[in-house]
Amino acid sequence: MKIRQRAPGARGAAALVAAMGLVAAAGCGSSSSSNSPAKTPKPSSAASLTSQCGTKPGVKATGTPIPLGGIVTNQPGTSFTDIANMANAYFTCVNNNGGINGHPIKYYIETEQTKPPQIAGDAAQLVQTDHVVGIVGNTSILECTVDHSYWEKLGFFIIDSGIAPECYSTSNSAAVNMGPRYSSDGAVQYALAQHVSKVVFDQSAVPGTGYIAAGPAALAKAAHTPIVQLTETVPITDANSVAIKEVDAAGPQGAVVLNFTPPEALVILQAAQKLGLENRVKMWGCSTPCNTDFLAHALGPKWNNKLFVNAELTPPDSTSSPSMSLYKAILAQYGHAVSGGIGSFSQMGFAEAEIMVHALESVTGPYTVQSVNAAIKAVSSFNTGMLCQGWTYGSYPLHIPNNEDYTVTPDNGRMVTAQGCTLISAVDPQIAAYRKAAGG
Amino acid sequence: MPSWADFQPFIVSGLALGGVYALSGVGMVVLYQATGVVYLAFGAVGAMGALIAWSLINAGTPEWLAWLVCVLFGGGVTLAYGMVFGPPLARRDPLVKAVATLGLTLVLFGLMDLLWTTNGGQSRAITLPTDNGGFTVGQIQVTWTQVIGLAAGIAIVVVTEVFLRYTKPGTAMRAMANDREITATLGVPVRRVEAAAWFGCGVIAGAAGLLLADLVALDATTLTFLVISSLAAALIAQLRSIVLTFVAAIAIGLIHDLITPIQALSNYRDMTPFVLAAVALLVPARQQLLSQSREEA
Repeated sequence: MKIRQRAPGARGAAALVAAMGLVAAAGCGSSSSSNSPAKTPKPSSAASLTSQCGTKPGVKATGTPIPLGGIVTNQPGTSFTDIANMANAYFTCVNNNGGINGHPIKYYIETEQTKPPQIAGDAAQLVQTDHVVGIVGNTSILECTVDHSYWEKLGFFIIDSGIAPECYSTSNSAAVNMGPRYSSDGAVQYALAQHVSKVVFDQSAVPGTGYIAAGPAALAKAAHTPIVQLTETVPITDANSVAIKEVDAAGPQGAVVLNFTPPEALVILQAAQKLGLENRVKMWGCSTPCNTDFLAHALGPKWNNKLFVNAELTPPDSTSSPSMSLYKAILAQYGHAVSGGIGSFSQMGFAEAEIMVHALESVTGPYTVQSVNAAIKAVSSFNTGMLCQGWTYGSYPLHIPNNEDYTVTPDNGRMVTAQGCTLISAVDPQIAAYRKAAGG
Repeated sequence: MPSWADFQPFIVSGLALGGVYALSGVGMVVLYQATGVVYLAFGAVGAMGALIAWSLINAGTPEWLAWLVCVLFGGGVTLAYGMVFGPPLARRDPLVKAVATLGLTLVLFGLMDLLWTTNGGQSRAITLPTDNGGFTVGQIQVTWTQVIGLAAGIAIVVVTEVFLRYTKPGTAMRAMANDREITATLGVPVRRVEAAAWFGCGVIAGAAGLLLADLVALDATTLTFLVISSLAAALIAQLRSIVLTFVAAIAIGLIHDLITPIQALSNYRDMTPFVLAAVALLVPARQQLLSQSREEA
């Protein structure tokens, strides 16, 4: 495996603040680092579990490598390297247990710093220099926007973690996560199901918020419930006034739904708590980034059954399926580079690698761009063990294969399931368009 | 237009925000008065001290010890910077001195990004015991930490004013800020006085970092660049008056938050420090220009 990282250059305060804002818009500091080492299998038991990675336990693959690539954002304040590093850990496990029909996977990870020319250069590097035959694990603030036309032209079908709208609205990108819009849909949908009188939806004030806001607006309109859309400059330095504004706008029977990165959401919720505002509305909601045990711990018991968070992936603490055990075993044995440990980021990396390996195993003949991408496109109803539903690529003009999710709530310092798998409403026109295309 | 009742909660939050700006702004003016340096690393030093305290608390260190380490870290780093870079930069233009502190800011910011990564969506918080108590104004809970934040600003203003005006070392600091060489020829132990000024400012930065980590957020970016808004208060006071800096900071916080319920202006409220600073700088400049024109006529 080869990891090529480009050092982030010196950048000014404005650029840093803008980048933080973009992540918030993406709602994608996505995720949950529940960092519970006690749940991770010990290395000895992990080794026996990880022998299930491939078809020949304990036999190293020595054939011609299958080159794959991925592009991730890695800059001060915003790093998605855990996702690609977890995919890399999975591939290492596969390589140590027979590989793909005896062929090891060689995974090239390119990192970028939110610069479009650099992102385009990374894609060209992977294709022209590294001669990759498949792209997996992409998680970038801008990559889908910048590269989707390039991948479409070359016939690559990308398996990624989506942030930008193009990750969900173009033909050659399919994500394992729901992204900020559909996660916000899920949070608003839960609030509407609790019969709140009004929804206040607040997110960071950066380009792209209009796209995200369209989903919750459609859901509220269909439920004949008024919705107030707010935006905040990030990083937030006046959380008190933000919290007061939200609560005043929602009213006692209303809901406040947040779409921010975990640090920003925590700042608002803590401010609300310090000002004694948490009970001044019927409920608080949040998109996936709030789904962290750390946030639940930092907030304390006052938020038990008061804050409801959309969760895109299967809760790792309360699940003991074979996939979840394998994920934890691979993380323990091969995931030394995964700094966040157990959590949504590494779950996404695991799921993406799983799907890629499943696709590669179905290839007959040589591993070329054509054969590998045809196999990716043919993945249908694949059970990753990490999502509510089977994952399908297919020949669709847009892809939202993860559109069913959980809702969790703090419970004395931990996030616990408040609502099981629930389909995101097709009242969101994008979800409706996807289900129509996918024949759902 | 919102009613008076709608504005009331924002007076409380505005005072708290003003107190936040005052803590940083006053600290910067104190060092400027004493050394002639605009210390742009004030926020980064406090942020790193707070992150160290957070790590220590999570590792089981008693909270009081972690807070002490935070304050001493601020003092130590600032003292080290002042002792190493202060003398060689002493004769340079104030702008050069300020930009040099920006270098320290970037070094600390890079270190924080490396040591307290945000990968995996980690979020951190410091909660002080004073968060759990307080009183209610209208429908808004005011915590003792917010009161301490505001009181700390007032205390720093009073103590610094008294120190600089009425004590020997304070007079020496002011003299040194005006002309380092003449002060030295008068027999003032310049290095020692300078060291005291740098250390004192660093201690304020560390204490402010701890309070701001609780009042605003324990986030390297937020705390590092909060200094930019605070600098507006210092600029309104033209870096001369500590009292005026404090008053300007409170005014900025109040105006900022009172704009919040006005829907048409709410999204522009973060411009408040810069608009007020620009007005404060332009009005005297215009008056000066007019008086010059009159004299020439």
